[in-house]
Amino acid sequence: MSHLQALQQRMLQAVLADRPPQSRDLQDDARADTSTRLAIYRNGYRVRLRDALATEFPGLGVMMGRRFGSLLDRYVEAHPSGHYNIRWHGAGVAAFLEYGLPWRDKPALADMARLDWAISTSFDAADEPVLAAADLAGVSAHAWANLHLLLQNHLQILSTHYNVDAFRRAADHNDKRPRMRRHDAARHLLVWRQALTVHYRSIGMDELSALSGAIKGEPFAALCERLSEYRDPADALPRMASFLHRWLADGLISRWLLD
Amino acid sequence: MQPAEAMTIEKNTDRLPYLGYGLGLRVEHYESLLEEPGNVEWLEIVSENYMIPGGRPLVWLDKFRERFPLVMHGVSMSIGGTDSLDEGYLARLSALARRVEPAWISDHLCWTGVQGINLHDLMPLPYTEEALTHVVDRVRRVQDVLGRRILLENVSSYISFADAQLTEWQFLAAVAERADCLILLDINNIYVSAHNHGFSPLDYLDGIPASRVQQFHLAGHEHGEKLLIDTHDAPIVDDVWNLYVEAVRRYGMVSTMIERDDHMPPLAELLIELDCARLLAKPLLRAAA
Repeated sequence: MSHLQALQQRMLQAVLADRPPQSRDLQDDARADTSTRLAIYRNGYRVRLRDALATEFPGLGVMMGRRFGSLLDRYVEAHPSGHYNIRWHGAGVAAFLEYGLPWRDKPALADMARLDWAISTSFDAADEPVLAAADLAGVSAHAWANLHLLLQNHLQILSTHYNVDAFRRAADHNDKRPRMRRHDAARHLLVWRQALTVHYRSIGMDELSALSGAIKGEPFAALCERLSEYRDPADALPRMASFLHRWLADGLISRWLLD
Repeated sequence: MQPAEAMTIEKNTDRLPYLGYGLGLRVEHYESLLEEPGNVEWLEIVSENYMIPGGRPLVWLDKFRERFPLVMHGVSMSIGGTDSLDEGYLARLSALARRVEPAWISDHLCWTGVQGINLHDLMPLPYTEEALTHVVDRVRRVQDVLGRRILLENVSSYISFADAQLTEWQFLAAVAERADCLILLDINNIYVSAHNHGFSPLDYLDGIPASRVQQFHLAGHEHGEKLLIDTHDAPIVDDVWNLYVEAVRRYGMVSTMIERDDHMPPLAELLIELDCARLLAKPLLRAAA
């Protein structure tokens, strides 16, 4: 190990330390001792990460209120940043809440973090083509059964028992904190970006099933078959047509393929 | 990454184009800069903000690219770091450069992390022969990857190392000469570091070769309890303006910009500061002409 490498490792440990140590590597002078000087880097590291995380997790901020700051501090202490883009330090927040004490006993927090992070990662996901209704006009009637709808790659589906979307909405619109609600049945939230704006909405079990089928690459006929599990088979096709209409309007589909 | 010898860059101490007076592009000013750009002649983007797959930031970037000359300024190259150069980072930086076609690309003379941990700060180097050799080698490799000379900026610092063999300006000048790169001189950073370490900012200016200076940064700072803190969140103070005049006196016409990162004022306030830079430089440049 070079002298420079060893020095940088000691500086790194000094910045990450609970209390900045006096360091023999550093020049002392009458203006400030080395501990005071290192404290500027130490505090700067924590403040920058806290600010970046607070920006990425506004819904979690509303949900946790005054306890949000201490969560961020604990996360920053436990997880040094490993990516050059400070924003990506947020990638581990949901898992930290899911498995770490004392938060793991409150699963709404991890669900909230997952929604915030899905919105954040959709914001600058890769641009893809958006299929318009007119693009499907050329598909002949007999070909529809074998039609594959390719969804936007950035589209994400989350499951939760809590009204986490209400907290995110409150953060987005600067509204007052909603009441936490737990639903017996899991709720499913769809997160996607249409043009330049990220959207999220809850979806029912039948739409979840159809979307899951499309993501797996199943043809249109199979998507209709999935819907027949939730309602009268005779209603499956009109229901799928209704979903297709909405997916096109929401910009969820990037292109189509035929077998 | 290509090996260092795979491509050579012609040693050329000529400056890149002179762009005039510009601003650091920030989200808060996106709309006003497109509607009423005033006297802004060019923009500096923070590279990492646009090293992303898609979405809104790149749409804005393309709009600005149509209207202004752009330069790219990074904060994460860690040119003085002892971890391997991040090839993924350099590949994304190269891809962004192909999209933007910037007049030049800059980063900082610093290290930002080690052992895979990123401190998201511009950590100063020990100004030693060992560090100099290390940085020069990495600058050459980066320039080979990017296919162009880069600019390195002096950072504000709060620590200095006991085993330093060179002054900061000797180190910066030596890196520029040996690696054949250019210099982005942050006037505020010189002022802040001079105060924090007790050196003369004029000695600093005198020690930097004029032929290497391609760009100036101007910014504000804060007074900490004992030291000055480089916050970029306040107007430029008189002492920094005076140092800027001294820099213009020494280096002549250098592309100059104001770098404001926090407590963002309306664009009009920055345009006044930009006019101030013009007014201060004008008589010196006229006299030189």
